Amino acid sequence: MIKVKIKVIGPFIYEAGFSEKEFELEKPSTAGQLLSLVNIQENRPKIMTRNGKAISPNEELEDGDRIAICPIYSGG
Amino acid sequence: MNGWTGNLLRINLSTESVKKESFTEEFAKTWIGGRGFALKILWDELKPGIDALGPENKLVVALGPIAGIPAPNTGKTVVAAKSPLTGGYGDGNLGTRVTVELRKAGYDGLIIEGQARSPVYLNIINDRVEILPAGEIWGKGTYETMNWLYKKYGKAAGILTIGQGGENKVLYAVIRSLEGRAGGRPGIGAVMGSKNLKAIVVKGSNDIPMADPPGMKKLGAEDLRKVGEIDKKTGWSVQGTTGVLSWCNEVAALPVRNMRKTSHQDAWKIDGERLNNARVATYGCPNCTMRCGIAIHDHEGRESELDYENVGMLGSNLEIFDLPQVASLNYLCDDYGLDTISAGAVLGFYADAIDRRAIEGNFKFGDAERAKELLRMTAYREGVGDFLAEGTMRMAQKIGQDTMDYAMQVKGLECSAYNCKFIPGMALAFATSPIGAHHKESWVIMFEITQTSRESYGPEKAQKVIELQRIRGGIFEFIVACRFPWIELGWDLQHYADYFNKITGMNWTLADLFKVSDRIYALMKFFWLREFPNWDRTRDYPPKAWFDPSNADKEGPIAGKILEWDKYEKLLDSFYDIRGWDKRGIPTKKTALGLGLDKEAAEVEKYAKLE
Repeated sequence: MIKVKIKVIGPFIYEAGFSEKEFELEKPSTAGQLLSLVNIQENRPKIMTRNGKAISPNEELEDGDRIAICPIYSGG
Repeated sequence: MNGWTGNLLRINLSTESVKKESFTEEFAKTWIGGRGFALKILWDELKPGIDALGPENKLVVALGPIAGIPAPNTGKTVVAAKSPLTGGYGDGNLGTRVTVELRKAGYDGLIIEGQARSPVYLNIINDRVEILPAGEIWGKGTYETMNWLYKKYGKAAGILTIGQGGENKVLYAVIRSLEGRAGGRPGIGAVMGSKNLKAIVVKGSNDIPMADPPGMKKLGAEDLRKVGEIDKKTGWSVQGTTGVLSWCNEVAALPVRNMRKTSHQDAWKIDGERLNNARVATYGCPNCTMRCGIAIHDHEGRESELDYENVGMLGSNLEIFDLPQVASLNYLCDDYGLDTISAGAVLGFYADAIDRRAIEGNFKFGDAERAKELLRMTAYREGVGDFLAEGTMRMAQKIGQDTMDYAMQVKGLECSAYNCKFIPGMALAFATSPIGAHHKESWVIMFEITQTSRESYGPEKAQKVIELQRIRGGIFEFIVACRFPWIELGWDLQHYADYFNKITGMNWTLADLFKVSDRIYALMKFFWLREFPNWDRTRDYPPKAWFDPSNADKEGPIAGKILEWDKYEKLLDSFYDIRGWDKRGIPTKKTALGLGLDKEAAEVEKYAKLE
């Protein structure tokens, strides 16, 4: 099992129901699999980062990772 | 002419002459409006080398053919002048009822010349223009001033005003309107103050000329409704622009401690969620259905309208993680009429210089109460405020040593709230912004971090910066509309071409509009070149601190990483190549002629050679 923290950013927190939460996952788990555990509509454009760096959905997660899920911002 | 009123109003405050002037269809179709109009007027009418705070400078208020009509986010106005902060072309863009009223009064712009002998304000009602004594409001903040004017002229009046900052010619004084709208970062408010002009009041009652009034009215109303629906669905305006603060903190792009650091464990205390939780009111510009003005009560209990830039620069950049205190600093900037971005950068630089013992002084990061006092002193140029009023570039010039390295500015204008010590494309965006460092022109951070690679300096980044400049710094600044529906809600850019065509009766493509963007960017560079004939590419460099290895983060996603000069030079070369500019960053003769700038090229060659 691995423990990862999810940080939800922006108005996604109102869909997801939380802004920061720890998840326990089976090993191996991917970012995409983690995303499916969070209640954010699939068709909403979003980006994910892992420990501050871009990540693709099929990337494998490690114990202690911090995953951020964010809407597409364009800098106002 | 449909779309344009065809008229500009020229007011000379020295002679008190008022003239309604018409412009040609050629002028309209070459420059369109907003930034295009303002730039061309200032280029034609200002002599190089004039004192930006003297009577020879001109304040231009400029609108465009879709400004003021009921359609998504058309309540914005461009204000422009030669900048006293940078010495080059300067402008800003703010939401105001003046947009709607000035167009209904029958004008697409104002040109304000000269200098009144004593403080005045303008009252414009259609064809009637009064220059009135402003003795009762001179010396007052923007809130009290607007209330006084609303009482006199009604709440529907369009008002532009300055605070004590503009009156005392703080070099980053802005022009203010409505509850919390402000524009003109490079000291356009100081230019207004230098003319002894306290406020402009406008009311109009004509129809805005357009090719298909019932068709446009129907389309505009439908689209306003649709944009509002997208906002409701996505929830964007629940946190507004401040939603991005958490992401910047996550990816090490947050301005912290005069941009020494890129994230902070207390950043959550001033994030979008906290802001929304503290919301007491929501404000927006005319013709907006996704209002971004989230107001909270500040530390003193006053309503203060916050967005990301205010929170980033007056909050995290100063290590003040108390949202009501950040709101107080924001309120003071709005009341005094100071640019919040530059104010935050100036205070950050001041605290940093003291911390590094480059100068003596009384201000530490995190000290909100002292920051309030310093803002007051700056607005009145009192004591050290006189020094702070000059902006980071002049402060660093005065102090000397190596302080210019961490004066976070480009061309004299302070960087907005993105720490680019390891974001090459965004550093390029700041460096090549045509008014000095501003994210308004181009914002490429998410593209860089997620669609290409953060460490790349490849030409795809220069291409992206230019693509966004053409839209953000181009189309939205000359057509004049707020870019937020497009930028934040994905409202197709084609809509704006459609509005333009429906209103003017023309049949332009986006490519036609992009050409105008390129023309404007080239002429803005010529404006700078004429003021600084020894121009070189170093003026398109980001702040040195972003290249200093000792300034790299010690931990986190970009630990040990920093911008590299030789790679940046290549990226800058890519930018110049794509734009058809030479190695100095100046449009070549071929590029200029291709954009129809024959006369302008000939004029600038009296001062410096074109390649």
